[in-house]
Formats: sequence, structure tokens, C-alpha cells
Amino acid sequence: MAEQIRLTDIQKHFTVYERPDGKWALLRAAFSRKARRVQALDGVSFRIGEGEIVGCIGPNGAGKSTTVKVMSGILTPDAGECLILGRTPWKERIAHVSQIGVVFGQRSQLWWDVSVADSFALLKDVYAIPDGQFARRSAELIETLDIGGLLKTPARQLSLGQRMRCELAAALLHSPKILFLDEPTIGLDAVAKLTLRAFLKEENRRSGVTMLLTTHDMDDIEALCRRVIVIGRGRLLYDGAIAGLRGKYAAREGQDIDEIIAAMYRDMALES
Amino acid sequence: MGKGKGMGVAMDRTRKFSLFVCSARACIGLFRIRSIESLQYRAAALSSGSISVFWALIEITVYTVFYRYAAHREAATLTLAQMVSYIWLGQTLVPLHPLSIDDELLAKINSGDVGVELCRPLDLYFHWFAKSAAGRVGRFWWRALITLGIGLLMPGPLRLGAPVSAAGLIMFLVSVASTFLLSAAYGMLVTAVRLGITWGDGPTYMMMLVGGVLSGGYLPLPLWPDFMQGFLYVQPFAGYLDLPVRFYVGAIPPGRAAATIALQLGWTLLFVCAGRLVMRGRLRGVIIQGG
Repeated sequence: MAEQIRLTDIQKHFTVYERPDGKWALLRAAFSRKARRVQALDGVSFRIGEGEIVGCIGPNGAGKSTTVKVMSGILTPDAGECLILGRTPWKERIAHVSQIGVVFGQRSQLWWDVSVADSFALLKDVYAIPDGQFARRSAELIETLDIGGLLKTPARQLSLGQRMRCELAAALLHSPKILFLDEPTIGLDAVAKLTLRAFLKEENRRSGVTMLLTTHDMDDIEALCRRVIVIGRGRLLYDGAIAGLRGKYAAREGQDIDEIIAAMYRDMALES
Repeated sequence: MGKGKGMGVAMDRTRKFSLFVCSARACIGLFRIRSIESLQYRAAALSSGSISVFWALIEITVYTVFYRYAAHREAATLTLAQMVSYIWLGQTLVPLHPLSIDDELLAKINSGDVGVELCRPLDLYFHWFAKSAAGRVGRFWWRALITLGIGLLMPGPLRLGAPVSAAGLIMFLVSVASTFLLSAAYGMLVTAVRLGITWGDGPTYMMMLVGGVLSGGYLPLPLWPDFMQGFLYVQPFAGYLDLPVRFYVGAIPPGRAAATIALQLGWTLLFVCAGRLVMRGRLRGVIIQGG
């Protein structure tokens, strides 16, 4: 299994400004402000091989999204190394992002006022996809995701479930080698979630695309991932099979996976 | 290894070039979609067009009175007929230079969707340049057509006059095309500055307003004090509407045409470089807010 992603000791901090409180707080805030350093990532290292599906979990504000942003070339870390397909994302951003696909559950990549088909045509130019390949790939994605009926609709008129299916197609049109999914099932109904999971699994089997997904939905992890990474307080806390977590934190037989995760967060003092 | 390295550099160059071609094609595609999209807001165009016409009529009335009762009428740089044309064309060109940054880009900056934009294999500056330029041009067409059309249909002294000559008209059109790039480039510089600011639009609005005032959109530049005229001619914002309109009414001698266009393009280039520089700095420290 060839290695595709390698993160070594990634560090990233943010500066947060705080307003003083107490008497005349608003007035004093105009002249002085207190800067606080927040260590979002404090030495995260892991490796991911070709064709793996890895789930990334952790409480809110743990650093999951920051990790994904570093890997997609949006954020430059303070220190550490990150090699993805042999490139450092933030140094060769354009070459890097043409090889990856990104789906953000809470943000849309489709053009809001434009029909889905027009968005796809634009993506063809953006990623410089050859005509033949584009025709083949889009036909395939439109069929498996069942979005043929939505192509003429502007993105703003789609329901969330419909939109997520179109987002997935949009992210996979250029046949990326790696797909990052940031909370892809957030807000979806049960049927849409199941469809999405089935699609991701099938896509991974068929085209061998490597996937890293962050989520709070443990069912996503159980359905898709053999390997899970836990990030908390900017550190990597666990990396391995989900069964390992079960063995360590399940107090009793047959305990719900959410309870196990909650027990783990409590144990690591990660509760937010 | 040495040979491989040489080939690597050549490969890198061809790759960069093909990347550039694709980016350009994608930006043209974006431009097309966005400008067609803005064309559909016809009611908005109709109302803003009538505002332009209304303003033009008020200004013409004011300047007519002003010219009639001025003590040194013969000292004026432009005749009253030239001034009437200046006002109509000025009102036509003003919407090409909005006083705020592009709504879509501003929304992306505020919501943190800049991150999504960075996931595209495109140069962010030119990607956004194409988007904001298209937004301007789409809104501009209808409004310009209405203002020009009514200006040409007005009776006698209120009418938009014919261009001074065919050459004057051509220079006017060339100058309008380059002013479009100029104001889009300045808009991008302001957008790049806004990229690092999390608190409101004051500074960007002030930057845009300086451009608006110095363009002659509020008070035509020929009416400003004589000692300022030299400065007003070389400063970048004369290119917004003063210079193109002067070509139309024949207030710039043909000998200075090339230098004037070069001046506009020079400022455009400077704004592009400055905008790219600021944007690169901002992106290094950018924080994408939220989940």
C-alpha cells in the first residue's frame, strides 16, 4: 500500500483577542486588548495509505477541521511537515488542489445562482478535464448519484440532501486521488445518509480514491472506516481500528458507540 | 540527475503554461456566467437607470444656471454643450465604478468561504478579478443603455451631443475599455485589503470614496481649481470617467491620446501588482472562521 499522506508534528496556533471585562470595559477595550494564544494543533502526526478510508473524530473545537484545512492547502501551519502525493500543500497549492477533492458539509462549492449542469461545465474548465473524460465521468456520477433530474435546477433551489449529492459529484468530476470530507452527513435525513455512505463505499471500491472524513456521526465511521483517528486539544490521541476503542472504553457488552466515544472523551478530559 | 533536473524545469514551465491557459479559460467561463446572471435583473436596472437620468437632469440644470451667470464664462475649459455631454456620459460610466466591493466576494470573506475558493486550482486573484469584473459589467449594460438612450433623445440644450470626431469616439471606446480594467483592479486592491479585516467596512468604503470623488463623478474635474489640474490629470481616478469623456467631447488633443491611454494602463498594472502583493500577504495569515 503506497503512502499518500504524511503529517509530521504539525503545529498551528491562532491569536484570539479578548475584551477586558468589568467597569468601563467597552471604553478600555478601545485602547488595550488582551491577546490570547490558542494552540489549535500541537504536534499532529499520522500517515494514510492509498485507498484507505479513515475517519477523524474528536469533540467540537478539537482541531479536526484545522487538520483538514492544513491538508487541503488553505492554512499554513507554524511548524511541521506535511506531504501529500509528494507535495507540500501550502507551498504548491494549485498543483496540490487539482489532485484532491474537498466536500464541506456546511459550505457549498456549487455556484449559488447557476444550474448544476452549468456548475459542472465550469468545473470542467477549472480542472482542465478533457472532453471525453468529462463526458464519461459526469455520466457515471450522474447515474450513480441519481441527479439526472436536478441538472437544470439552480443550486439554491435544491434540498440539502439533493445538494449534497450534487456536491459529491462536483468534488469527484476531476477524478481526484484523495477526497477530504468535512462533516458530509451533517443535517441529512436517514435516507440521504444511507445513500451517501453507500455511494462513498462503492466509489472507494471502484476507483480506489483515498478518503478522510471528519464527522460527529459515529454511524458514518462504523459504516465506512476500518481505521479511526481521534484528535483532541490539538493532539493525536488514538489511531487504529475502531474495535480497539471499543475494547478500551466499553464498560459493558453491546454498549452504543456514542456512549463509548463519550466515555473516551471524559477519560481524556476532553469534554467541552 | 543533472539532465533530469533540466527536463524537470522545462516540464514545470509547460505545466505552468497549461495551468495558465486553463485558468484563463475558467475565468472567462466565470465571467460569462456571472455577467449573464446579472443581466436578468432588469427591474433593478430600470430603477437605477432612472436615477441616473434624474441626476443628470439636475446637474445639467445647475450647470446651465452656473454658466449663464458666471463672471468669467470665457475662462471655462469646457463649453456648456461639452459640459452637458460630460454629465450624460459621466452618469453612464458611474455605475461601472461602484463604491463597495463585490457583494459575492464580501459575503465569502465574511462567511469564511474563502477556504472553499482556495480549494480550486486557480489563482485566487484572477479568479476573483474575473468574478468582480463580470458583476460590474452585467449590472452596467442595462443602466448604461437607458441613460445613453434618454440622453440622446432629450430636446435641444439638454441633449447628449455627438462625439467630436470619429477618432474621438474610437478613443473614447478604447479608454472606456481600459477604465473598466482600471476600476476592477482598484476594486481588487480594496478587496485584498478587506481580506484581512474582521471589523466592518469603514476603511474599504473610504478607499472607494476617494476614487469616486477624484473621478469627477461628483464634481466634474474641469471645474476644480486651476492649480490642481496637473495633479488631477495624472492621478489614477481621472481614468474612471474624466479622461474617456474628454476624448468624446474633444478636450484632449489627439497628440496626447496615446500618453493618456498609457497612463490609464500604467495605473491598472500598478493596482494589479499592489493587489496581488497585499493578497499574498493576507492569505499567509488568513484565518478561516468556523467549523
